[in-house]
Amino acid sequence: MQVRSQVSMVFHLDKCIGCHTCSIACKNIWTDRKGAEYMWWNNVETKPGTGFPTKWEDQEKYKGGFELAENGKLNIKSTSKTKIVPNIFHNPHMPTMDDYYEPWTYDYQNLFNAPEGSVQPTARPISMIDGKDIDIQAGPNWDDDLSGSPIYAENDANLEGLTERQRHELSAIERLVFFYFPRICNHCLNPCCVASCPSGALYKRGEDGIVLIDQKRCRAWRSCVAACPYKKTYFNWFTGKSEKCILCFPRLETGQAPACFHSCVGRIRYLGVLLYDADRLEEVAKLPDEELVEGHRSMILDPFDPQVIAEARKNGISEAVLEAAQNSPVYKFVKVWKIALPPHIEYRTLPMLFYVPPMSPVQASKPEDTIKHNSDNLFHDIDDSRVPMKFLANLFGAGHEGGVRYALAKQKAVRWHRRAETVGDVDRETADRILREANCSREEADAIYKLTTLCKFEDRFVIPPMHREQAIEMMKDPYEHKTEVGFGFVSGPARGL
Amino acid sequence: MKFALHVNSCSLVRGWGKASFRIAATLVAMALPAVAMGQESARYFRANCMTCHTIGGGRLTGPDLKDVTKRKDKEWLIKFIQNPSAMIDSGDPYAAKLLEEARGVKMPVVAGMNAARAADMIALIEAESKLPESQFQGAKFSTKPFTDKDRATGRAIFVGSQKLKNGGTACNSCHSMYDLPAFGGGRLGPDLTLVYERLKGRKALSAWLISPATETMQPVFKDHPLEVEEINSLVAYFEEAAGHTEANASVTRIAFLLSGLVLATAIIFLFDVLWKGRFRAVRRPLVEGIRRAIHRGPQTAGSASVAAEADG
Repeated sequence: MQVRSQVSMVFHLDKCIGCHTCSIACKNIWTDRKGAEYMWWNNVETKPGTGFPTKWEDQEKYKGGFELAENGKLNIKSTSKTKIVPNIFHNPHMPTMDDYYEPWTYDYQNLFNAPEGSVQPTARPISMIDGKDIDIQAGPNWDDDLSGSPIYAENDANLEGLTERQRHELSAIERLVFFYFPRICNHCLNPCCVASCPSGALYKRGEDGIVLIDQKRCRAWRSCVAACPYKKTYFNWFTGKSEKCILCFPRLETGQAPACFHSCVGRIRYLGVLLYDADRLEEVAKLPDEELVEGHRSMILDPFDPQVIAEARKNGISEAVLEAAQNSPVYKFVKVWKIALPPHIEYRTLPMLFYVPPMSPVQASKPEDTIKHNSDNLFHDIDDSRVPMKFLANLFGAGHEGGVRYALAKQKAVRWHRRAETVGDVDRETADRILREANCSREEADAIYKLTTLCKFEDRFVIPPMHREQAIEMMKDPYEHKTEVGFGFVSGPARGL
Repeated sequence: MKFALHVNSCSLVRGWGKASFRIAATLVAMALPAVAMGQESARYFRANCMTCHTIGGGRLTGPDLKDVTKRKDKEWLIKFIQNPSAMIDSGDPYAAKLLEEARGVKMPVVAGMNAARAADMIALIEAESKLPESQFQGAKFSTKPFTDKDRATGRAIFVGSQKLKNGGTACNSCHSMYDLPAFGGGRLGPDLTLVYERLKGRKALSAWLISPATETMQPVFKDHPLEVEEINSLVAYFEEAAGHTEANASVTRIAFLLSGLVLATAIIFLFDVLWKGRFRAVRRPLVEGIRRAIHRGPQTAGSASVAAEADG
């Protein structure tokens, strides 16, 4: 057993209101710079929808992530040692600017400086790449709330395997449904970006598992851009270096939650430590699709298990981190309650950001003039949800519905239980039966309810002290480092060596 | 060591006078370089001048140099030898006359030539002119008429299908010829179709080929000289060629350009095939495909009909 700690995340999709506050917080702090205009380290997608960059989940085109070869090896889809030589001058799997979008601003000065005329002056859009007038074709959330057209929604890669009727229902008038899917870097256990980098510029931080790009080592190969199946590494065309979400590590190191977590209006985001067994990494990443979710979960270790604690201490994990792991909300959602699931685990990068799948209204049909719901139940049968189970399974279960059904059933049971507790208009026996069916006790339901609805800052974010002094100790005397921090010249990333 | 030797020699030659020893030593010191210099000049003359000149052997491409100092003063000669083209271009009447006599073949700038060397050459020519039989009279070539076999061998040598015995480079690496296809000959050196006429016939051409003296050819053939039989065959081939006109260089140039374009296009297409699975674009084709479907009408558009309704 090789115990390591990872700062992991849970996004509770049932709570997301799609306000993009997280994206704006991130943009303002990190990517409001030349060359980074088009980057959205955090973005919110409407599902069904094609997301950002357009149709990023279509790995037939983008070639992201790993694939299991017939000889049992785990290969990077986009590159390999032999492929890198013939492709040395051109990476053939790079998204184009149009698949992200051409960033733009507006000519606000014209509002003040325009000569007097018969019409109101306007602020025309200007490209932030070449400074010329731009005819806006796409944006980072172009299909937000479906944007009045099903063009993008109909091309969601997760619709694969849905029946024609299910597809039609998704976008039919008065039955239309969508939910939000906020995304940041998953800080994977088996990061494909790190594996693909020819310069060795990407690394996973030992103490907290944050995946970072060394701006001094990056040589603009852009292998990580092609390799990341979530398309969460971006190339900065101005500095000539790739960049990605850093999980606001400077904030984490000072005990604050990352900006997108901190600013989240719906309080959907949870952050905490998970302990995992690094020895099982390769074995789990090679599991067949249907066993991946369970395998991934089994890698996560019980922070109360004395053997795990002993092994963790042996690996230099501090008491404070162990304590944080025991209080981790993420551990509860992922391992104890099993209602948070990794996104697209079939890419085999073992993401450490988990999603609680969203509930959705019941399916309905309109045989006559009035809409008739398929179920009269207040908290209906989850198999009749308007978002088809298969769709959620494609997103969170590598195409297998079991895990998603379990998570939704438990959420439904919690609602029944709380309705019986607080309102009392449903009878206790039915509520208990539904709890039993969902493999959930009353206590567990209360705990889920509490962490979902009444969660305060310290419940959502259990941030361990990062002990940077211990990490620095490996390279430098921490006291010396402390006295020197802030002195000298900070050099920004620049092209060249 | 030196000191010890000195002491030793003093003790050995004690009987000799110091003065006589000094004289002997001085004589040896003076004589050695003089002989060496004479040999060096002769070697240089043989390597660089004999392709075009003889001393008492008659005219080749350039004039016979016997008694050249009696025809023109030394100062002028030294200047001319160092840079013949400059002298010709300056409009010097005697230089123009020489050029005319040589049928327009300019004397090249000889590698390693400078004022001192030119003076050495003049001295050598003067000395050799006094001899009844100079060692620089020129090689004796056979005067037998050429046979068809000679000509065929000559062509084989020119195009490189028959290798040169001493490992020299085939002529067509740098030269073209009237009967070679478009890319048969190189374009570094001149077209050799009319070289037989240019260098005034068999004797001069043969002499020239013994050791080609231009700046480009000398380094190539210095260590790989042509054999006498090879020269004979080549000259046979050149003689026959002189009856034809030179290959049309502009045709070759156009052919070269065209084939370059064709090859470049072929390579681009090859790359396109090799990387046919590359990422092109996702969003634009997706949106444009649906737009086209809408324009075709709702009957054929299928799923896009909803979008058509939305569009109005």
